[in-house]
Amino acid sequence: MLLKYDVLTQEQVKLIHDETMKILEEIGMDFEYEPALEVFRAEGLKVEGNRVHFTREFIEAKVKLAPSQFTLHARNPEHNLVCGGDNIIYMPGYGAPFIHDVNGNRRKTTMQDYDNFVKLAGASKNLHMTGGTVAEPQDIPDEIRHVKMLYSSIKNSDKCFMGSAEGRERAEDSIEIASILFGGKDVIKEKPVLVSLINSLTPLKYDERMLGAMMAYAKAGQAVVIASLVMAGSTGPAALAGTLALQNAEVLAGIALAQSVNPGTPVVYGSTSALSDMHSGGLSIGSPECALFISPSAQLARFYGVPSRSGGGLNDSKIVDAQAGYESMMTLMAASGTGINFVLHTAGILQYFMAMSYEKFMMDDEMAGMLLHYMKGFTFDEEGMAYDVIAKVGPGGHYLTQKHTRKNHKREFRTVQLSDRSAFESWSKEKLDTNQRANRKWQDVLANYVPPALDETINQKLLDYIAKKA
Amino acid sequence: MSELFAELKQAVIDGDEDIVSESSQKVIDQGINPVDAVQLGLIKGIEVIGEAWKAGEAFLPDVMMSAEAMKVGLGLLEPEIAKLGMSEGESKGKIVLGTVEGDIHDIGKNITGAMFTAAGYKVFDLGTNIKAEDFVSKAQEVGADIIGASALLTTTMVGQKQLVDYLKEHNLRDKFKVFVGGGPTSQLWAEEIGADGWAETADEAVELAGRILAR
Repeated sequence: MLLKYDVLTQEQVKLIHDETMKILEEIGMDFEYEPALEVFRAEGLKVEGNRVHFTREFIEAKVKLAPSQFTLHARNPEHNLVCGGDNIIYMPGYGAPFIHDVNGNRRKTTMQDYDNFVKLAGASKNLHMTGGTVAEPQDIPDEIRHVKMLYSSIKNSDKCFMGSAEGRERAEDSIEIASILFGGKDVIKEKPVLVSLINSLTPLKYDERMLGAMMAYAKAGQAVVIASLVMAGSTGPAALAGTLALQNAEVLAGIALAQSVNPGTPVVYGSTSALSDMHSGGLSIGSPECALFISPSAQLARFYGVPSRSGGGLNDSKIVDAQAGYESMMTLMAASGTGINFVLHTAGILQYFMAMSYEKFMMDDEMAGMLLHYMKGFTFDEEGMAYDVIAKVGPGGHYLTQKHTRKNHKREFRTVQLSDRSAFESWSKEKLDTNQRANRKWQDVLANYVPPALDETINQKLLDYIAKKA
Repeated sequence: MSELFAELKQAVIDGDEDIVSESSQKVIDQGINPVDAVQLGLIKGIEVIGEAWKAGEAFLPDVMMSAEAMKVGLGLLEPEIAKLGMSEGESKGKIVLGTVEGDIHDIGKNITGAMFTAAGYKVFDLGTNIKAEDFVSKAQEVGADIIGASALLTTTMVGQKQLVDYLKEHNLRDKFKVFVGGGPTSQLWAEEIGADGWAETADEAVELAGRILAR
């Protein structure tokens, strides 16, 4: 395993923590959900209207209750995931309302897209879970969208997936559906199977929708990513350190609520803070500022003893081009190299979370594979040092006909999936760029993918539950 | 007198609410023509910033702070103009803005409001979580040309359709132009719900308003 790098010193982490405590104590935060306010009142905090004033003691004590790592269970136990420690979990993009196609045209996302991305993630060797709202199915009525998405996630792959964060009722539906799949609420309370994305409403607010979902999941013992996306310059100060403190305040207050509802609730410290472009006001995630925020999120999470979420294949480009590639590699590498555990948005994102792209998905999948290999670092065993074969070949000669080579290259080297390493002549027959190669590749993967079988009794129960909702 | 107008102009350019407020108060106290203060002071200032924005020299905070400063000045001078029974002069148009019911995201809407102000429109910002009927009653009250409805979520976009439907139901559809915008919206969506205009950015919305109102 490769050594991780930090961008903040321990003193700077402590400084951010102290600033955060000042924000939470002196300014406080708004929680627009009565049941959350009741929890804080019962904990003896000062609550005025929706404003909650925290104390350092309260926050520090509650954050300590969160586990440093937890196992997320999949319907195929081979795909169970440990979130925390040195582990990294890659998964597709989340929540995009549009698809950008290979020619740079935009259209609304559909259920078919949702199914397709789950299948592509299911087929991937590099993506560990299939994620959540991999594409907003806008052809499905809002009231049943969440159950349709959950069913697709279950049916089309046996990897871990996410629950709905669209308010208490939809979270409860997600819990019911997971209970059907895993054999009851008691079972999943012991072994969490869902992880859901709870976002603050920066600056310093949480809304009813997110709080309702968070509290439902906490009660059911399911994991939540508590995330803040500060847009420095618009929803946060035009100052990177201050933005970190603001982000940290929001995330810690969320973690403290989850722990107050149910001590020991598995939480992930989440953030993808970035900036507002000062010409357009738009979010920019393919930026050095966004990349800089990633390591501090990992460091702060380690400081608090919880797993972290950040980064991804983040970029502001509209099509699979050089910008999409270099920006995404910067942010995905920053997440992978600094010890982030849960990487939402690893694959498929274009234009600051606004769009998913099949071609981008395949390119990001390749980058994820490259980084997984990169993070393995060097192997220092006897085979890895390879002294015997160095002695055997001696000066001159070559290694291509050595048994050691034939045996070891598959471990030491990674085979490319999408990149073109051919020589000029063979490349020049079609002159395909990454975008065009990826376009062929995803269609090929989809055509050959066979979803893992799902027990017919469970399948029927799931369908019955969904039919009741419609 | 012209010194005071120059002061107002510069204060708007600098986005300095305090000086705009002080100078506007001086205009009132000294019995200077408030219409001139608006036309030769505040509006001249916002024009400078508007041009600088178009030239790519001004940044978003410059424009937004100038728009805020302008609003402070108008807040003081407009009641005076009304009291004297004078007319403020023609604005390019009036726009009522808000984020639709169930949605509390407002950064994009705020930027759009500032851009319209900088372009010489009168903006009435209702805030967030606004019902169709509240958009419409404000638009009727101020005699708006455009109603602009923002939505950031795929689940709240329907509020934009409800606004168009509400206008139709009350036989008011031809009274106002309806603009929609926000992350998940698109030209196709605008056409689907029968809105008059859609833009992806605030700049494009201002341009679109110019074209549509010129018709």
